[in-house]
Parts: sequence; C-alpha cells; structure tokens
Amino acid sequence: MIRSDNGYFGEFGGRFVPEILLPALTELEDLFFGLRDDPEFWQEYLTLTQEFSGRPTPLTPLRRLSKKLGGAQIWLKREDLNHSGAHKVNNVLGQGLLVQRMGKQRVIAETGAGQHGLATAIMAARLGLDATIYMGAEDIERQYSNVFWMRQLGSSVVGVTTGAQTLKEALDEALRDWAASVETTHYVLGTACGPAPFPELVSYFQSVISDEIKQQSMQQMGRLPDEIVACVGGGSNAMGAFGAFLENPEVTLVGVEAGGISLEDGQHSIRLSQDTGETGIAQGYKTLFLQNDDGQLGDTHSIAAGLDYVGVSPILAYLSQQGRVIPDSATDDEVTEAFSLLMKTEGIIPALESSHGLAGGFKRARQMKPEQNLVINLSGRGDKDIFTVARAFPQPEWTGFLQREAQRSSEILKQKGAH
Amino acid sequence: MFPSQNENLQIMSHAVIGFPGLEENEKAIAGLADAGVRLIELQVPFSDPVADGHTLVNACYEALKHGGSVRATLDLAQRVCKNHPEVTFVLMSYLNPLYRYGLEKLFEAAAAAGIQGMIVPDWPVEEIEPWLPKLDELGLAPILMVTPNTALQRVARIARASRGMIYVVSRMGVTGHETQWGEKFQRYIAEIRKHSDLPLAVGFGVRTIDDLSALQGKAEVAAFCSQYIEWQRDDGSEVAAKRMKSLIKSMGAN
Repeated sequence: MIRSDNGYFGEFGGRFVPEILLPALTELEDLFFGLRDDPEFWQEYLTLTQEFSGRPTPLTPLRRLSKKLGGAQIWLKREDLNHSGAHKVNNVLGQGLLVQRMGKQRVIAETGAGQHGLATAIMAARLGLDATIYMGAEDIERQYSNVFWMRQLGSSVVGVTTGAQTLKEALDEALRDWAASVETTHYVLGTACGPAPFPELVSYFQSVISDEIKQQSMQQMGRLPDEIVACVGGGSNAMGAFGAFLENPEVTLVGVEAGGISLEDGQHSIRLSQDTGETGIAQGYKTLFLQNDDGQLGDTHSIAAGLDYVGVSPILAYLSQQGRVIPDSATDDEVTEAFSLLMKTEGIIPALESSHGLAGGFKRARQMKPEQNLVINLSGRGDKDIFTVARAFPQPEWTGFLQREAQRSSEILKQKGAH
Repeated sequence: MFPSQNENLQIMSHAVIGFPGLEENEKAIAGLADAGVRLIELQVPFSDPVADGHTLVNACYEALKHGGSVRATLDLAQRVCKNHPEVTFVLMSYLNPLYRYGLEKLFEAAAAAGIQGMIVPDWPVEEIEPWLPKLDELGLAPILMVTPNTALQRVARIARASRGMIYVVSRMGVTGHETQWGEKFQRYIAEIRKHSDLPLAVGFGVRTIDDLSALQGKAEVAAFCSQYIEWQRDDGSEVAAKRMKSLIKSMGAN
C-alpha cells in the first residue's frame, strides 16, 4: 500500500484542522502507525470481516454480458455482497477495532448515500456504542431507506440543512460535533479524504478488496487482470480496489467520476478528469476541489448521492497527477443505462454509485480483446436506490402503490395515536 | 495597535463581509468604532466554516450571496482602516479563500490595506512557521489559537509563532455557545501565560456582561462575535451598535 510522506502524497493531503481537533488526530495516527505493520492486527481484522461481513467477497465473471459487448472478459468484485450492502463496512469494522483500543464510547460519522452511515450504525450496535450520523437533508430525501434502518439500529440521524445539504455539509457538521466531543468520541470518517491519517487509514482497511482481487484473479484467470475500474466519490472503494496493484504497473487503474447532467458548474462531480478541480485546502486537507475563483467550494450533482462530493482523496489526486490512475467519468444517463444492462443480462442489482464504474468499465471493455480481463469493483448493491431508480424509470403502478402505502401508514399512525 | 499585557479588558467585535450586505458592513463598523470598540475582525465568508457555530455559518452563507469575498474584504479593509485609524483591524478567514488568492499576494495586499493581524483557524502552526519572516517584514501579526486540549509543548510552539495576541479558545466546540469561567479556566489561562507575554484574546462563548465581568483581569481581549452578529441579524446594525455601546459603558462601570 502507498504510504504518505508525513501525511502528504506529493503536494496533496496534510492536516489542516482547527487546533482543537489535532490531539485526536495524532492519537489516532500513533495508534494506527503502531498497528498497521502488525500481522496479528491484520489477521484480527480479516477474521472480523469474515465472521461478520461475509468476506472474502466473490469475483464474479459476467459471461453473457462480456459476450454481448464483444470485448474483454468482465469480472465484478462483489462488494455489494458485504453485510450492509457495500464496501463501506470494511473501513468501519477496522475503525471499530481502533475505537475499542482507544476506549471511546461514542462514534460520529458523515454519510452521503447512507451506506457509510448504515455501516457505522451497524458497528455501533454490535459494539454497544452511541452513534450520531450526520447526513445532508437533501440526501436524506434521496436515501430514506438507509435513514430508516440507521434509526432502527439505534443511531441518531441528524439532517444537515446548511448550504446544498449534501455530503460536504454533513462532513462540516461532523467536524463541528467532533470539536466539542473529541475527548470521548471517535469520528469514523467514511472515505479516503479528510485530514491525515484518514486517507491512509481508510485506504489501508479497504485494501482488503485489492488483496482479494489479486488472489482471486490468479486462481480464476491464471494471471493479474489487465484493467481495474472503480467509481470515485471520495475515493475509498477505488483506493480499496487499486491499492495492492500500485506495485503492478502492467495493471491499468481507472477511476470513474460522476459526470452528472453536464459539465456546467453544479451539474457534475468531476474533479480529476476534466481540469474542473483546482488545488485547494478545506475540510482538513489539500486536494483538488470544485471551487470558484474566490476559493468557495462549489455545488455538485450526481444521480448517485454517494458520488456527489466536492473534493477527492488526496491519494487519488496524486496518483492521477502521476498518470498511475486514469480518470474518466460517466453521465447520469450512461449510468442508468449500465445499471439496467447489468440487471437484465446478469441478474445483479448494482448501486447507482457503482454503476458509474460499470458504465466506464463497459465502455473500455468494448475496446479490448476477448483474451483480456477487466475487473469492475461493484462497491454496493442497489436496493437502497429503489426510489431514485423508480424515478429514472417511471411507472404508474409504483406511484399507485406509494399512494396506497402512504394511506395505510397514516391510518396506522392515527390508530396508534387514538390509543 | 494590539493591547499590552495586563491592560484592562477590551472587546474585539466582528464583521462578516457581505452580511447583511457590503454597504451595511461599512456602517456597522462605523457604529462599532463609535461605540468604543478598538479591535474588529473582518471575516472573509467561506462556504465550509468548520470552526464556526450556526450563527456564523448562516451569516457566511448569506454573505456569499451578497458579494462577500476576499477581494470585497480587502476593498472594505482599505476604506475602514483609513476611516477608523483608532481601530485595529484583524483579518479572519479560513485558509482556502486566502490560498486561492495566493498567500504571499494576500499578505501583501492585507498589510497594504492597513490590516494588522490575521486569524486563520484551519492553518496550523507548522504551516505558518515558514511564513513568519515575511509576515514580520509586513507587520502582519499571525494570531494563533490555543485550545483547552492543546499539549503544553505545543502551546510553547504556538506562543513562539504568535504575534500581537494569542487567541485562547475558551472551551471545546465551535463558536456561539455558553462557556464556564471557573477555576479550571483560570488554570488554563495561567498555563498559557507561562509561555508568552502577549496579551490574550479569549473567544468562543463570550455572550453577556457577566461573561465580560468574569474575564476582567484575566484576559486583555474578549472576542464578542456570535452574539453581536445575532443582534445585527435580528435588530439591524444600528441597534447592535447601541447595545455594544451600553455593554462597553457597563464594563467601564465595573
């Protein structure tokens, strides 16, 4: 795995936080640096992911779809089969081990699509911790099923109503909570962003994905894959899928960002691939941010709440600058098309976030030869997107059902209120 | 001019540039100067102010809609520094707007406008140190923050890099909530004094005359910011200035 130079990856990274947060970050860093080379700790982590989350996740060949597209053999790394339905749980379980060592009793987290929040709520329930999850009010509306489950699991979900009310604001609010609670609370940052050591720490736990891809491709393909494709929001699933392959320059690594509706400001979340991101320092770290000439962070858009983020992992910003990771993007429309194609051809329901990886991967596979292998990291499953997908493919029977269900729910509430 | 150690407590107040509007800022600052305020922070609004509580977050959000920016702040600074030579103006900003403007260019422009100090909450001492020769040459004082959980060794390092004043964050959390000023707080202040002869500006949770009375004799400056911005928001800048005037009067009477 890649290592930082004192928190930096090239010019990116660092630790730019209010003074109050510094002791907790150095405590976390000391703990992490003391454990990361300890094989026993890694084994403890692997055992936990096996017992609790179903690892290793399979590497699934897409035989029908590969034939249909007529290019490379396409394989999916099935992070959607993790408990909680996404790769997010890997990082959360790892940080859970750190929380136990620090003896803190409360965790907080920011969440976009709700997958990281859900994973945190699951971890907190299992370890008996208090959990508060910050989520943009806009994202709550987009991903209500995750909000519902986080609350059922006993977490408190706080809607953030400042600014554009998405992931960026949720992260700001989690940092504010942490400034007041840092002595008793651990901030479970969900992606490979934020102040050091988070980018490195999150990538470390997520690298279990690429370790497995490596072993599985040797067994199933007889060699390493030619290309690996992953969607890029903050960058944790991409860093997970790429990490172990950084030492194999023959393996092409491709990160697919959210192309949204168009390249106009506020209509996409492309930071790497189009010179749209500019170097900036905010939310605790230095990376490529979407921002205006005054250094104000910009608005973003994606059909996938989990990719709708204004910054990007400093590690990916660096690897992309070095040419090691090739950035690409997929529009909302390309994404729904790839989503539908995978479902109908292979019987797998992908998350809209991961469908960006599918769209980018399918495009590249078409240009490749049948003896080549391309792995797409399917970072999450699509159950949570039922409402968004229903809007993308509108059907009167769904609307009719929602109306009847709303009626039933309010009648139940009324009856309960009457008692 | 920054106060000297052991001077009577004075108020540092605040303007978020663009809140409620650029023209109003100028009037509000005149009102504060007239009320007797001798230290004023000019805050560059930012989209993601992580060290601020909701009052200032919302003020930033409004300010950005009404033309607040680094350039607008420098323009305004030039005028208010000239019109109110009795007031010391301090630039307050998060790092990114300054970084985007170009740090060296920004320092020069701020000093040329007459700004005497700078508070940047997400700019750690390690990153400031290389700039100290330049800042000293310009006479632009970096006012660094110390917090209740800052390790003693680090307090010493922060004290060495600070100029003008040290900003003492009174408690854990963000701006705009209440604070206790008991024995624990006094021990904390005493610890910082061991490392520096600079005057101390206490901020976060200074909201009432009682808070100010409690700080009298303990610190030289009280940052009275969120409460003032709330007055400005709810009742307008004129009323806010009047309240500030009576607050300063009652401080003198104590």
